[in-house]
Amino acid sequence: MSHSTLAALATPRADYSYAFLDAFARRELRRRTLKAIAIPGYQVPYASRELPIARGWGTGGLQVSLALVGPQSVVKVIDQGADDSVNAANLRRFITRMSGAATTTDALQATILQSRHRIPEEILREYQTLVLQVPDPEPLRAVQSDSSRAHQMHADADYGQMWLVLYEQLVRYRQYLQGASYPSLVNGRYVISPSPIPRWDTPKLHQAAHLTLLAAGREKRLYAVPPYTDVYPLEFTDVPFQVEDQRDWRCRHTGVQHKFMNELPLADGSAGYELSDSGYQQKITAGTAPGATYYDDQGNFYHDGYLKPPVRPE
Amino acid sequence: MYVAAKGGEEAIQQAEQLYRHLNGPLTLELVRAIEQQLPYLIDRVMGEGSLYAPELAALALAQTGGDLYEAVLLLRAYRSTQPRLAYAQPVTPATMLTVRRISAAFKDIPGGQILGPTLDYSHRLLRLDVLDGTAPAETAPVALAADPAPATYPAVADWQRGQQLMPPLPPQPPLEPADLPDITADNVLFPAPRAHRLQALARADTGGILSLGYASMRGYGLIHPTVNELRLGHAEVQVTHPITGAAFSAGRVRVSQAEVVTSGGSKEAPGLTIGFAATLGWNEVKVIAASTLDMEMNQPEPHPAHTEEFVLYHTEPVEASGFCIHFKLPHYVTFASSLDNLRKVIATFYSADQPAQPAAAQPMKQATP
Amino acid sequence: MTHPAFTPAEARQRDTFLALMWALSYPGRTATLPAGDALAGIGEALLDLETTYYTPDAALAALLARSGARRLPPDRAAYHFYPQVDAAALADIALAAVGSMLYPDDAATLIIGCRLHSGAALRLTGPGIPGEQRCQVAAAPELWSLRARSPFPTGWDVFLVDGLQVVGLPRSTRLHVDAL
Repeated sequence: MSHSTLAALATPRADYSYAFLDAFARRELRRRTLKAIAIPGYQVPYASRELPIARGWGTGGLQVSLALVGPQSVVKVIDQGADDSVNAANLRRFITRMSGAATTTDALQATILQSRHRIPEEILREYQTLVLQVPDPEPLRAVQSDSSRAHQMHADADYGQMWLVLYEQLVRYRQYLQGASYPSLVNGRYVISPSPIPRWDTPKLHQAAHLTLLAAGREKRLYAVPPYTDVYPLEFTDVPFQVEDQRDWRCRHTGVQHKFMNELPLADGSAGYELSDSGYQQKITAGTAPGATYYDDQGNFYHDGYLKPPVRPE
Repeated sequence: MYVAAKGGEEAIQQAEQLYRHLNGPLTLELVRAIEQQLPYLIDRVMGEGSLYAPELAALALAQTGGDLYEAVLLLRAYRSTQPRLAYAQPVTPATMLTVRRISAAFKDIPGGQILGPTLDYSHRLLRLDVLDGTAPAETAPVALAADPAPATYPAVADWQRGQQLMPPLPPQPPLEPADLPDITADNVLFPAPRAHRLQALARADTGGILSLGYASMRGYGLIHPTVNELRLGHAEVQVTHPITGAAFSAGRVRVSQAEVVTSGGSKEAPGLTIGFAATLGWNEVKVIAASTLDMEMNQPEPHPAHTEEFVLYHTEPVEASGFCIHFKLPHYVTFASSLDNLRKVIATFYSADQPAQPAAAQPMKQATP
Repeated sequence: MTHPAFTPAEARQRDTFLALMWALSYPGRTATLPAGDALAGIGEALLDLETTYYTPDAALAALLARSGARRLPPDRAAYHFYPQVDAAALADIALAAVGSMLYPDDAATLIIGCRLHSGAALRLTGPGIPGEQRCQVAAAPELWSLRARSPFPTGWDVFLVDGLQVVGLPRSTRLHVDAL
């Protein structure tokens, strides 16, 4: 073998590696993924390559999906719960273009689910991987913008300032004010941002059968919630964490209640509601029996006693 | 294989086609014209894209209709797919083929002030005669000097070191190139290794670096920078042949570098303090601002906007622009989650049987999702 | 449109990685590696120029060196490969990095050849395990006392390999050894 010119050493210009990432990038992502699983909730730094998708548009999740995907994979991509969202469609198109994987809208058929801002309503199974796109992996950002100091606080399990923020909210407003990305304690050790999923979805991470990988492309951190791992939203014992109150909302297409809804302002000043999980809605509309859901038709969560009845401080 | 919902895919395909239609045809002639006639734009895109490839930079500019951030992203994404074949030898000022080199610190310097190609002392008048069709067909010729200028020049800082105005360079242990911290492959942790800092500045957004550097120069920093030396030139890319082991030049790249100094040195080591920056391509405003920030970041307690973490994170063009435009994406799930809280607060404090006010009229504080 | 080629090497490395990922996600359960030399295959999937390894086994070292990874002494290597656990291996393992509270990801990963389904009965609890998982591993008992020295989140992550079967023991797993 002789490499007498630089050109002979270079790869042909149009030749992309399988799943776009070169072998080094893929291996590095895989090594970091194993570390993340072994240290639940710990933010593992990684190199985070630039992809042909705008940075901040799911490139972290996309890198993890590309490190996992194979031609036999079945991929579901959602944004805000919808398979048909333009951003979800674009990411799905890129994954299949680079890997030849099949796609699906059925949460239960997918081997890899990449999502921005939602976890599907149907209970995911063992050996499924949920990849959540993360804009800001640092739950301490609001109380400590210096990332080195925040890293030290995680090392010391020093979460006092997080509790103080919650306490201040209770004093001022008699309730917690954190909307999505509700900070949660993983395996009793690390506080994570569960990514900007609504509070409705946060309990779904607790003692789940599936693997959840969370990845931030811009911020170059990835972390994991392994299967069957404790995940508890931060809450004081006498003021429980609450999911969004949508008890009276009914999907205008399916009549379904007790699932996460999109609220749609109507011209007459009222509001309409529709299921946020488009794959789930598709099954109901088609008359296909959906799988068991995390919240049943009465709104009860499938881990008995995990969600406590709401209480507000006087 | 069956395929997920199609409506979104159809929409994004049509949107892209409309954009390309309005931009006009993408042709080889257009790419060649951009490459040959807009060298400073090419340099800026290559510097921020951290990929020296004028032809690809021109293609990126043509393909994006001149949208700089999009063009830089194209180059960076392409760069991700390229293997690392070799490590080049370090370039020193003394070996750089210099076409322009000036110092504001001294009236004259060893080797002389070399003005080189610049618009610095031109009148910024629009050449309206070009639009009228009355402009002369040829640009005025450049008069040749009686003696050709030398290709290389000594570094001004070396003279200052000889005068003990500046501490000597620290000894450089021989370094395995593979051991060099590499910002494209490593995680950046702070305080960052010097290599990470200089690499980040080299790749930084020109506008972002200018903005933060200007803030320092204007008074939010503690330092008045003096341009000790500013250079534009060509650097040989010296690599070792993988088979024969012989060193050879794989080509030349356009580079800029700046050194700024201040006399407000550190207390431990009296003398001039130096700031340095270099980048691919000719981009003077970027290296002057970046070298000022380099000096500022070395201060014990810089302004919060001039700490290393602040500067390096917020001047990364692909990340900053990508995150900024991601707010165009739907956020209605996170918004709904916040509305739910807002409705509960209103119900708690403003419903008919609960006329109470919140304890303090302050904005609701929560982490942005 | 055709996607870039899924080469046999990529297929092998991906299958190996997925076996390791699921072994670590469900500690104590067996996952199956692709056919071939299991330890060398794991090396191929995890090692390259950017990583370091250690193995006391000369033949295996020669295979792992092909990855381009640097061979370092046991106190500095990130990935350790032991075809079996003997007294010498235990002395090396005792030196393996466990990471720090600040950087627990600096800990070493140990790939250890051993007999599964015989030997000491282990009861495992922790992340990845609903309730309790039992498994049997024939390895020197000192391995478990060495492992117990590092409090979470420090400690090494272990892959136990028997033929093509692999069991993961992440540092997050709490381990109880039943008397033989």
